[in-house]
Amino acid sequence: MKILCKKENLLAGVNTVQRAVSPKNTLPILQGIKLKTDGENLWFEATDLEIGIRCKVPVNIQEGGQLVLPARLFSEITRKLPDSDLQIESIDHNVKLIYENSNFAINGFDPEEFPEITEISSTDIIEIPAAVFKNMIRQTIFACAVEETRPVFTGILLQIEKEDIYLVSTDTHRLAYSKAVIRGNDKEFKGIIPSKTMQEIYRLLDDNEILTIKFSPSKVIFHFGTVQILTRLIEGQFPSYKQVIPQSCTTKLFIHTRRFMDTVERASLLSKDNYLKTNTVRFQIEDALIQINQFSEMGKISEQIEIEQDGEDVAISFNAKYILDLLKVIDTEHIIMETSGSFSPCIFRPENDQNYLCLVLPLRN
Amino acid sequence: MGQLHQAISEVEENLSRLLGEVRSLRQYIDCLEDENAKLKRQLCAVSEADTARVQKNAARIQKEAHENLEKLYSEGFHVCHIYFGEPLEGSCLFCNAFLRKG
Repeated sequence: MKILCKKENLLAGVNTVQRAVSPKNTLPILQGIKLKTDGENLWFEATDLEIGIRCKVPVNIQEGGQLVLPARLFSEITRKLPDSDLQIESIDHNVKLIYENSNFAINGFDPEEFPEITEISSTDIIEIPAAVFKNMIRQTIFACAVEETRPVFTGILLQIEKEDIYLVSTDTHRLAYSKAVIRGNDKEFKGIIPSKTMQEIYRLLDDNEILTIKFSPSKVIFHFGTVQILTRLIEGQFPSYKQVIPQSCTTKLFIHTRRFMDTVERASLLSKDNYLKTNTVRFQIEDALIQINQFSEMGKISEQIEIEQDGEDVAISFNAKYILDLLKVIDTEHIIMETSGSFSPCIFRPENDQNYLCLVLPLRN
Repeated sequence: MGQLHQAISEVEENLSRLLGEVRSLRQYIDCLEDENAKLKRQLCAVSEADTARVQKNAARIQKEAHENLEKLYSEGFHVCHIYFGEPLEGSCLFCNAFLRKG
């Protein structure tokens, strides 16, 4: 293989696929990035067998071929190269990067051993504006579980029902639900996408693009711009989430989002240090006011926020992190908080938007 | 003509066999009807008081079971089908929904 290109071309490809590289995988070939010529483009590929990312960049191809380079070294040398014209030459598995009057040789892997990131043959395809899907990811990904004791909770449920598309995530303490409309769709699908895949889509997706999603029973492929992300689905049944969402409430509040977030942030400074280490904040809701009286060995905070209240007074405690996580993804000036007592799940949703909600279970202290 | 006679004879045989099957089915239906009538009589023989007692007992058992599950949850164990019996960390939306439903 022999190609001529710029540093920025290499850097764009490496940056796009690098997160799919598996640094700790027992298969050494998965620690590599594959480069493969195709017409006037150079394809970059990386996979950890759960997620596979491919992207193409235009280069000047003198001689076609393919090679696999160790991702870490290739990425670091690419970043450190001068901003000059580059030449990449390979003989067998060994690669030489030639720049200015210098060269850097890298011992590569056998490209034949690199797993194929194959297209899926399904004809089930939907298209959705990137900005819409990105926002849905942003509004749900924080509620995924981190621990892998139950893999189904480490991903986001992608559900397509005719013209409706849903993303739902939960770690069993909280649940985030986002819905959007895909006009003219008649396809149906239900699968759990690993949160790492969703993070990568969010990172690489440009707001102005159109995202194409192609799905089969075990794999999903996301196309946008020059990038393709192939992901395996998480096996298992996502629990029936609809039964968890309360259909009525005894207290409904209308709260200024920014003021609420600032107050909770200040209160959480003390709650992190309290003897329980649970990061608890307790809201006393009465007479159209939320009062927070928080203390620890370090100090004491006493604040109140004026709200619109419809329904009963209630005192309710939450993990401050859960409240802050959801307030960060709500963009409206006000939020609606619906609760039915100190122990029932509490719904938070943006004002005038029925397509998103976050459910948080209060702490039982 | 001989073939026609033979065909008619075969049809006659088939019809008589079918008739035999219908007769045996009728006997079977008679047995089932008798059984059904007997069961209905037994059902009517249960007094309203007995029915109320059984229903009350069932409700009590159900209430006790729900209370036991609530106790288990409050003592820090999952009662949802996903993690049933495992130690609880904080609270669980699915346990909560399950207990609320009950």
